[in-house]
This record gives sequence, structure tokens and C-alpha cells, in this order.
Amino acid sequence: MSSSAASAPWAVRVDNVNHHFGDGETRTQVLFDNTLHVEAGKLVIMTGPSGSGKSTLLTLIGALRTVQEGELTLLGRSLHGLGPKDLMMVRRGIGFIFQMHNLFDALSAYENVRMAMELVGTPPGEMRKRGTEILERLGLGQRMDYKPKALSGGQRQRVAVARALVNRPKLILADEPTAALDKDSSHIVMGLLRELADEGSTILMVTHDNRILDAADRIVSMVDGRISSDVDLRESLVICEFLHSIEMFRHLTGAEVTFVAERMRQRRCAAGQPIVRVGEEGKEFFLIRSGRVSVDLSDKGLPPVALGQGDFFGERALITGDHRAATVTAEEDCLLYVLDEAAFQAAIQKSPKFHDQLLQIYFQRQ
Amino acid sequence: MNNRPMQALRRVAGIVPLPGRVPLALRSLTADRARLLRSVSGIAFAVLLMLFQFGAQKAFIDSSLEVVRALDADLVLMNPQKNRFGTKAPFPREQLVQAAAVDGVQSAHPLYAEWSRSMWKNPDTGLWFKVQVLAFDPDKPVLRIPEVEAARHALRTPDTVLVDSRGRRFLGFPGAGGGSELSLRRVRVIGTFPLGPDFLIDGTVIMSDRTFLNTFLPSGGVTAAGSRPSKVEFGLIKLAADADLETVRARLRAALPNTVNILTKGELEAIEQAYQSRMAPVGPVFNIGVVIGFLVGMLIAYQILYADLSDQLGQYATLKAMGYSNGFLVRTVVEQSLAYGVVGYVPAWILANALFWVVAWVTLLPLGISLHLTLLTLALTLLMCGVSGLIAVRRILRTDPAEVF
Repeated sequence: MSSSAASAPWAVRVDNVNHHFGDGETRTQVLFDNTLHVEAGKLVIMTGPSGSGKSTLLTLIGALRTVQEGELTLLGRSLHGLGPKDLMMVRRGIGFIFQMHNLFDALSAYENVRMAMELVGTPPGEMRKRGTEILERLGLGQRMDYKPKALSGGQRQRVAVARALVNRPKLILADEPTAALDKDSSHIVMGLLRELADEGSTILMVTHDNRILDAADRIVSMVDGRISSDVDLRESLVICEFLHSIEMFRHLTGAEVTFVAERMRQRRCAAGQPIVRVGEEGKEFFLIRSGRVSVDLSDKGLPPVALGQGDFFGERALITGDHRAATVTAEEDCLLYVLDEAAFQAAIQKSPKFHDQLLQIYFQRQ
Repeated sequence: MNNRPMQALRRVAGIVPLPGRVPLALRSLTADRARLLRSVSGIAFAVLLMLFQFGAQKAFIDSSLEVVRALDADLVLMNPQKNRFGTKAPFPREQLVQAAAVDGVQSAHPLYAEWSRSMWKNPDTGLWFKVQVLAFDPDKPVLRIPEVEAARHALRTPDTVLVDSRGRRFLGFPGAGGGSELSLRRVRVIGTFPLGPDFLIDGTVIMSDRTFLNTFLPSGGVTAAGSRPSKVEFGLIKLAADADLETVRARLRAALPNTVNILTKGELEAIEQAYQSRMAPVGPVFNIGVVIGFLVGMLIAYQILYADLSDQLGQYATLKAMGYSNGFLVRTVVEQSLAYGVVGYVPAWILANALFWVVAWVTLLPLGISLHLTLLTLALTLLMCGVSGLIAVRRILRTDPAEVF
């Protein structure tokens, strides 16, 4: 299930980005035509096997590399063609959490965090207050003056998290931020990240930690340098619940419902806009996410039927192969999820009884 | 008050971190005490090498200048063939007499000297050693050495001498009342004076012109009157109270043939210095030693910093990734380098002083570390460490911040 709205306030916009390593004969393409749009305030988890290109994509988004091909825009600023100095300035607005936390051994936990605050010119009087606040929040209030060598792996990781988040950046890029943390610490860190996301920060996180998947808004999977799936997790859960409440999908397993949900595409319709017309060839199945539509049954001498959130239409023509039996018009601005014919048929094949069930449902609605 | 110029100066100097800033360089320096000790030892060794070379060179030159500085004169006449004080090249006494008649000259006194035929017999061991002999008319003082001044009238007694109390011990210079032989002539010591040896001369004997005549010119080289040597080694000119040095020098130049050089004491010192540092066999060795000390120090400082930076590569790459500029990284590394220099300099300076005290006691050379030498070597140390830091910092400038992700 992918989002495709055009006017959303994108914090990160990656369009058709390719990337190569090496020169000449050793030049190897590692990213292939990747497009990813992330709204401000979203927590996105990126997964994929090692070498799938997720770290490379993250380094491009983090202005750690120069964009070679395609367009990359961060918080409204295009990174295309920026030189090292401009990229450095862009990086100052990003909070990085590195898997190898790379704290300065010579500096205390507080001083490591302070290095991030000095970079953006935080007033000296503010620094102690904010540094103390975030370290206490991460359970390090009693360890502020400890050097990294005197801290455990998890504590060091939390200092690195504090360093990345203390400036409350608008964009946070994290590489396995919870890998070294126990369950409680992980919960604290994710809570802080969630809080920042709710305040409008955008978070892109590479992780293999299953414990934190439920904190994500989206999960982007990469395979062989390509984004293979991009799931809006919360929306997907809503859609799965809608699908599961529909009689014809009730017998599908969780995985099968997810399979169907992942193949649905968003479509917005303005009030008064016809969605399907009577007599047309049926090519799509529709699920109403929000708004209301009206089904015109006047040719059958019936009053119009109003459908709302969680209702569906368009399945009959796909099942029977007939043309559309009614015109459906948006009564107000609507957000629809649309399943194309091929995906719909694939969903039917998941259950041998599915076709019969749908026919029965169809006839029940007549 | 506007502190910005001071802050800018501190930033440029890179030594003192700005107030309110994490002193990253200083913290990095002191984080690992064992590493700090190793690093400081290495740098201190290089500094010690430089200090010792400089100190020895200075002692080498200073020791040979002691006698020049002791001359009581405004201008010095000498044979132009002389390339240093201790080269035998006398000039005719008549020219000194001519000089004395020049307007503005208050006095023109002769100084006689011998370096090659002057053999001193150690009265205790019976061994013979070459010494420097200086002689003058006791009525015409030429040396600003209080002990010599006090005893000069006593030198009128034939075959009496003053000996250098700081002469090398193997010469066996006795105190007042002692005696020995100088170039096979029996002499009696009536007093001592402190001058000290240099790298070529082990000790000095001072006598009257008459004793000099009897010892070294018994059968010739005397004036018509027969009471004075006919040639003098130096002519020491003192000017009248109101005379202008350059004016008198011009008059002397006009009055004397060009076979006589007319020099100020400063010029004579410069000739001596030039000879010792460029022409004397040992002089260039000291210069090479200083250069080697500097290069060795730079190599040591570079290796220390390179190893430090290699250990902290990830941290510095992280700073780059966070958005710290290359300028900040360079400044931090140079700060650390300079701090190493300062921390390494202090023990080296103390050790060098101790070492010089011991060596000076053994060799009787004027070894020591002057303020000028302190500042010069400190500047060289900071330069050495700063340059090493600039070379080593390339290691982190080459680091790709993307690699830390």
C-alpha cells in the first residue's frame, strides 16, 4: 500500500535516485531508480538484507555523499549539485545516530553531547540545561561526567542518541539505534524518537530490531538497491482491519490480508467526481478510507445507496466479468484504496472458496 | 569591551580554547596518561637534542668571545689577515703610534699574544700543554678583568704571570705564589683571573710586555730601543670623551695603510662568530645537529599525532558527519600538536639545564640556556609540532564521513 498524494509536506523527497561506486571498469551501480517521499513527522524504518543499499540511500539523504543521479530534497532544499561545504551545512541540521557510536573517549558523556550543541551555536547557559535534561531522560543523569570507557555499551549508545537528539533536529537518521540496548532502554529511546516525530521531526531508521517495529509509521524494504516495498504501517493496519471486516475476505489469513493490503493504492477523489460509470468495463476494486460516495441505482428503480468509511464497491464486475452495473460518485472529498484486477484475482486465488463467497455476497447485496 | 579581536587571536593561535567550548584538544591530550607519557617523552627527547645542540653551539661561540668582550677598547686595530682572534698575525708597532696621533684618539695600547709557541708545564705532572698568552704594558691597561686590573702593577716584576683560574684542570695552574715554566722560562704566578677555556684553548696566561719579550722574543723582534716588541697583535684604541666613533675611524683609515683593519669590538665579535660557526670544523656540526634535532622531533611528533589520530579516526569522521568543518578539525589537531610541544618542552628544558650544569662543571665551558635560547627553541618546538600536526591532520581530512554510517 503506497501513498501518492502530490501536495503533502515532504520532509524527505527522493526521486529516481541512482548511485554508483567506483570509476571506469570498476563502476558499480548500487542504487536503482529509487523514489521515496516521507512526510514530516513520520518515523520510517528501513529494512533489507546487508548490501541492499539502505545505508547508501541513508548516506545520500544525510548529505554524507553527493547525489549523482536523480533528485533529493531535504526539508525543501535540493541537495543536487551541492558542494562539500554546502553539504556540511545541511548536515548540521540532521541528527545522526551511528551504530558505531564513536564517542570521544577523552570527553565525558555530557561533553560529547555538548559537542553537538556547540555546532549549532546553542547559548552556553542553555547547554548545561539541555544536556542534563536529555541525559537524565535517557537514564544517564548519574553518569553525565563519566568517560565512555566507564560506561556500558548500552549507556554509550544512549549518549550517542542524546548527542543526536539534543538539538531536536527536524531530520534524524539512525543506524541500528537500539542494537546495543536492553528492552527498557530501547523503550526509552524509541519513546523519545516517537515524541520528536510527533513534534514534527522526521526519522529514518535502519534496524533489524523487531522489538521496535510497532513504533514505525512506515516500513521501507530494500533489496538489491531497489525499494521493494514501502508500507505505511498504521494505514496498513487500518486497511487490514477494514478488509478483514468484509465478508469475502474474512477467511483469509493475516498474511493473505496483508498481501492484499500491500497491493492497494491510494486515490483521492474530489466531491462530485464520478468514480465508476455504469456500463464501463470493471478494472478495479475500491475500499473507502474516508469520505462518502453515492451509488446510483435509478435505472433499476431503486434509491441511491450511500457508502462510507470501510465500505467497498466495484467487485461485481471483476467477479462476473460484466460491465459496471451502477455509477458511483464522490459525495464529498474521498480517500479510496484501489486494488487492480490482477491483484484482486490473485487475492481470489488465495482461497478456493473465495469466488463462491464473493458471488454469494454479491447476490446478498442485490 | 569588545572581545572579538582577542577571540579571533585565540582561534588563530589555536592554543587556548574559546571560553565555553569543550577543550577537545586538551582532553585528547590528557585522556590516556600512559600515551601522554610516551608522547611527551618522545617530544622532550627531540627538544633536548635541539636544546643541547643550540646550547653547545652557543657555548662554543661564547667561550671564544670571552676574551674579545674583555678587551677595554672602542676600536681595535689588527692585521686584515686575521680570520679570528686566535690567529697569529701581528702588525708593526709604528702604525699603532700613528694611530695614537690621530685627532679624537685618547689612547692606543698594544696587546701582544702568543698561541703556538706558548707551552705551559704542569708543575705537578711535568706535562707540557699549549696555552694562550696575552701581554700588555702594565702602565697601559687593555683588559676589563677586575683581577687583572688589580694585579697589573705587580706584573712589572719580570717573569711574573697571572693564570686563568677557570683554565682546564690538567694544566695544573697554581694559585698566587706558585711557579712553573712557560716555553722553558721559569715564571712565578702572582695571581689569577677568571676567563675560562674555549674549544681550542685550554687556558690563558697574562703577563707584562717585558716578560713576553723575554719569553718569546729573546733574540729579535724588538723596537730600536730594545725594550718593546716591534710588532703588536692588537691595537686597542680608546676615544676621547667627545669623539665620534665613525669620524675617528675615518681619520684612522686615512692615517693608516690598508694593511691594518679598524674594527669595533662588535665587528671583531662578529668575525669570531662567523669563523666559529662557519669555518671552524665543529661549527657546522652544531648547525647540522640542530637541523637533525628539528627533523627528528618533527618525525617523532608526526608519528605520535598520526597514531593518536588513527585511534580516533571514527570520532573525527563522526564530527565531520555531524557538520564540523575541516577548519575545526585542523584547528583541533594543531592545538593538540602545540599542546604536545609545550608539555614536551618543559621537562626537556629542565633536563637540559641539569645536563648543562654537569657538562659545564666537567668542561668548564659557559653552557647554559639563555632567555633568547629558551624562546628560540620553544618557537622551533611549536613550529616542529605544528607542522607535524598539519601533516598528520591530512589523515582525518581524507576520511569519508559516509563510512561511519
